[in-house]
Amino acid sequence: MPEAFLETVALSRRFGGLLAVDAVDFQVESGAIHGLIGPNGAGKTTLLNLIAGALSVTRGTLRFRGTDITRWHAARRAHAGIRRTFQNLKLFAEMTALENASLGLHAGTRSGIFAALARTPGQRREEREIAQAALRALEFVGLAAQAHVAAAKLPYGYRRLLEIARAMVAQPALLLLDEPAAGLNQTEAVNLSGLIRRIREQGTTIVLVEHHMDVVMTVCDTVTVLNYGRKLAQGTPAEIQRSPEVIEAYLGSAHALA
Amino acid sequence: MESALLRRIITGVVLAALFLLPVFEPHQFVLHMLSLVAISATVALGLQLLLGFSGQLSIGQAAFYGIGAYASGLLSTKLGLPFPLAFLAAGLIAALTSLLMVPITRLTGAYLAVATLGFSILVYLVLKNEEWLTGGSFGLMGIPRASFFGYVLAKPAHAYLLCVSVAALVYLSLLRLERSRFGRAINAIRQNEDAARACGVKVTLLKSQCFVIAAFVAGLGGSLYAHQVRYLAPTDFTFWKSVEILIMVVIGGMGSLFGAVLGAAVVVLLPEALREVGDYRMLVFGAILMGVMLFGESGLAGFLGQCLKPFSKR
Amino acid sequence: MYLADLFAAGLAIGCVYSLVALGFAMIIRATGIIHFAQGELLMLGSMSALSTLWLMPRLPAMLVLVCGMLASGVLAVAMEFLVYRPLRLRRVPLMNVITATVGMSILCINAARIVWGSEPLRYPELFSTSTYRFFGVVVSPQLVWIMVFGVVLMGLLQLFLKRTRTGLVMQAVAQDAEVAQLMGANLTRMMIYTFAIAGMMAGAAGVMFGSLFFSFFEMGFVLGIKGFVAATLGGLGSLAGAMLGGILFGLIETFSAVYVSSAYKDAIGMVLLIAILLFLPSGLVGLWKARS
Repeated sequence: MPEAFLETVALSRRFGGLLAVDAVDFQVESGAIHGLIGPNGAGKTTLLNLIAGALSVTRGTLRFRGTDITRWHAARRAHAGIRRTFQNLKLFAEMTALENASLGLHAGTRSGIFAALARTPGQRREEREIAQAALRALEFVGLAAQAHVAAAKLPYGYRRLLEIARAMVAQPALLLLDEPAAGLNQTEAVNLSGLIRRIREQGTTIVLVEHHMDVVMTVCDTVTVLNYGRKLAQGTPAEIQRSPEVIEAYLGSAHALA
Repeated sequence: MESALLRRIITGVVLAALFLLPVFEPHQFVLHMLSLVAISATVALGLQLLLGFSGQLSIGQAAFYGIGAYASGLLSTKLGLPFPLAFLAAGLIAALTSLLMVPITRLTGAYLAVATLGFSILVYLVLKNEEWLTGGSFGLMGIPRASFFGYVLAKPAHAYLLCVSVAALVYLSLLRLERSRFGRAINAIRQNEDAARACGVKVTLLKSQCFVIAAFVAGLGGSLYAHQVRYLAPTDFTFWKSVEILIMVVIGGMGSLFGAVLGAAVVVLLPEALREVGDYRMLVFGAILMGVMLFGESGLAGFLGQCLKPFSKR
Repeated sequence: MYLADLFAAGLAIGCVYSLVALGFAMIIRATGIIHFAQGELLMLGSMSALSTLWLMPRLPAMLVLVCGMLASGVLAVAMEFLVYRPLRLRRVPLMNVITATVGMSILCINAARIVWGSEPLRYPELFSTSTYRFFGVVVSPQLVWIMVFGVVLMGLLQLFLKRTRTGLVMQAVAQDAEVAQLMGANLTRMMIYTFAIAGMMAGAAGVMFGSLFFSFFEMGFVLGIKGFVAATLGGLGSLAGAMLGGILFGLIETFSAVYVSSAYKDAIGMVLLIAILLFLPSGLVGLWKARS
């Protein structure tokens, strides 16, 4: 059986007395768009943070392309091709959109202090390439016109797009999106779905945590449902919608799946 | 005109003016004071990298300034090392000492500040107590003037040109760093450390590198200081000197290299201009520090930037 | 017995550090800022009390202490009102607030130098000259009184915080300002009280230290740092930690000065500080909590 692109084995995370993620096993196939849903407090964002390396694992294993990355810290995962966005936007407020996007390319590039001081031809070429790639990423998400605007001055919807641009500019192998549709209106959500599909077409595997059911159902190939930190179900969106346990878990919630 | 071009023109004009100054044969006291400004600017520029760019509040730069000064002074008096070597060695020794601080870069905010403060006090105590090495409270005397391959820079104008050259070199180097991948990364660390990590920035490594660069630059400044005033006492390098350097960066404007230079000029020259206010100098500085924090951190450089706004377009 | 002397001296100076540390702890809990000017509150209390004593030489020791405390308390409130509150209201970044407290520190030190001069000033004898005997051991009355005052003040503070309504509200604000406000706490007033108390503790410490050694315009600087070391040793943000850390640090410092080196006496504190920040950032209290 071929190794899963991304795989967690009995992954757990404890906060004092609370087991936020409880022995979760799930797999993501290469090239898939995989959704992570569940009621509030189910542990979705915690799980995403574990995969991203923002939180350390209490127990269990995390494997990426067959390699055990459980103990790797966040920066190392970024170098390995795992990128992420944050639920409550962590942009570099004082920098322009172009500069924010340029930072997404930090991991793949090399020029250090000495190269910068000497302005070697290699460094200058690298800077040009970074600028070009960053601009292309902005064009991809539709922010080219805002390239020189400071991130803090952008409206909310654009900031969300910029966060995505920064995460996908290096064409990562795995992209983790933490509630990318939060706060977006219907039109923006539809555009986002289109954007996510286009990112996948470039060869990126995507895992997203999301509450916006329309986005999840239209865009995801497979979905994992969490409840109280445990995996409740995994399958295609259609299967999930029909699953009695999942419906029960969401009973009383305003966002019924049917 | 384009703001980047405007900036280049201004920098060029300022540098030209500074280098041409000796032609007008100003009084040697003026040259001496301007040399001190250049020396202080060198150290302040290092702190700007550390504080303004990477966001690490260090109130211990005087330690590296002092280490550089004493290293250069001792190497030239006790070992007869020629100035160029003593100068570079001062920077390197200060940089090496800063490696002791690497574990401290894990700390943030006020905790980092206090740790650097503690380090600064430790260095001061060593300078004061180890008489066999530093001369203790009696100080280190008879440091020779700067010289290059036998040519002694006896004229104040020549010493001035040396100091300005070093300051200009440091300024231009840091400018290059600011505009590079490294510069973006350390600014990212300051603005949002988590996001920087998610982009693959090796936060602790870069933070440490900033410390080392700032220490190296402070050490170079210390060496220039030693050969300019030619007598060193531990009291030149107390915590208050660290505070003075911090004030330069704050007054000039956090994040602006040009601001650090302006701040240095203000801090060094203002007391001379306000000779009668002498005793109240630090009092005024304390008030200014609080005032600048209250009314905006863009300092003098920010203020100038606002003035020039009508002339530039982005 | 020489050891007993050292022990008593260590405890006495420990009480001084504890009081300063308490001030740090209270302000950090309430505002999150490390109040660099805390040592200056100690100094100003010390010098003000001395000036009062010059004006009224017959003043009993207790009242001198109270005067010092009042002076520092008032100054602390002034600092809060004139500088820290505007900074807080403008939501200025933490870095700037810390820098402002450094500025305040500089201002106070230089103001004191102008008012009182740069020479160290002696306190006249505050306590009776006869010595006390404890279990056959001779102890200087200065030290005894300082320990007594110190313990009483700390005890009063604990009573105030745990038994009075205002004290409880202050604790609530320190834990979660937003929620406390929703429950009706007057944030402004609590901040004033916090700074007032922190100031008074520092002022008391200043009078004690002055009576033990002497007062001078820069005394707050090193004592402030040492108070901070004590607070960090105990566990930053914990009041019990501040008290424990102060006593412990006083003892460590006094014994090290004798058995290790006296020239580097101040260095002990610095090394301890850096070591704690690096290896035991939550202090002794943090260690104790982790164990239980």
